[in-house]
Amino acid sequence: MSLEHHHGMSHLGSNSTMPPHHHSSPTASHSHGGGGDMMMMPMTFYFGYKNVELLFSGLVINTPGEMAGAFVAIFLLAMFYEGLKIARESLLRKSQVSIRYNSMPVPGPNGTILMETHKTVGQQMLSFPHLLQTVLHIFQVVISYFLMLIFMTYNGYLCIAVAAGAGTGYFLFSWKKAVVVDITEHCH
Amino acid sequence: MPMHFIFSSEVELLFDFWRVHSPAGMAVSVLVVLLLAVLYESIKVGKVKLFHWSLHSHPPNDNQQLMECMDQESTSSGSAQANSDRTRLLLSHLGQSLLHVVQVVIGYFVMLAVMSYNTWIFLGVILGLAIGYYLAYPLLSVG
Repeated sequence: MSLEHHHGMSHLGSNSTMPPHHHSSPTASHSHGGGGDMMMMPMTFYFGYKNVELLFSGLVINTPGEMAGAFVAIFLLAMFYEGLKIARESLLRKSQVSIRYNSMPVPGPNGTILMETHKTVGQQMLSFPHLLQTVLHIFQVVISYFLMLIFMTYNGYLCIAVAAGAGTGYFLFSWKKAVVVDITEHCH
Repeated sequence: MPMHFIFSSEVELLFDFWRVHSPAGMAVSVLVVLLLAVLYESIKVGKVKLFHWSLHSHPPNDNQQLMECMDQESTSSGSAQANSDRTRLLLSHLGQSLLHVVQVVIGYFVMLAVMSYNTWIFLGVILGLAIGYYLAYPLLSVG
């Protein structure tokens, strides 16, 4: 449904006299031929920079310069997404307020009974850290859907930007997390 | 592009050359998508295993570890053990980042496959994710 709406919007932007289902503007998305169907939305990967619609109705890429700019912006967006994930995790760890221990008997080897201790950490619902986590969660969900929609353009350059940005972001931000966990592991 | 699930033995997936028109081709496509989903779950476990490899790098020797931890500014940073620890950490993190890129790409490919709205492909993805989880996650508690 959202894709139909997107088609409607893009047609309004280009030529308002054309009916929505009529394929009018040349689509570079099938510059290499493709099959018999000439739908506006590509369903296979392609490399191209002409008439690439990106997320919003006014955002169309037509030149290599614009494609390069889009590549950088999407790279940074994917890096930011990874960073946001790590930041939320560290915020969560810092704001743990209540720790509950419960011990329960568990059958062990050789018929003995062992006491297994479970540690539960939680936050209060109306506390500021939890509200901040919720806001950041919404932000993260929206960005992840944007990245999915960008990947759905099936444009090879943009997809590579998403993957490379995710990898770089993971490398830069998760490195800090890895070092922190490592030191605590060794010194306990 | 269909906007509801359909049963069909024709599908076009991801790339120009991946077009199937027959039940045999569809069966192969479902198998490929299933294996892709299994690989996705395995990579998630693989990242954690790589992380564990970097932590438990040398056999536990409590006195030595305790001294290294308490002794952080002094010569322990120059010792061979600490250097190999750092190398191990860097290698493991590099490996995890590469695995992460592969995981992101495969995740998006699986999403795009489901977007074909072909019911067989969708069932293949679900089955693949289930099999992958079933096979890979017990490996987390081993070793």
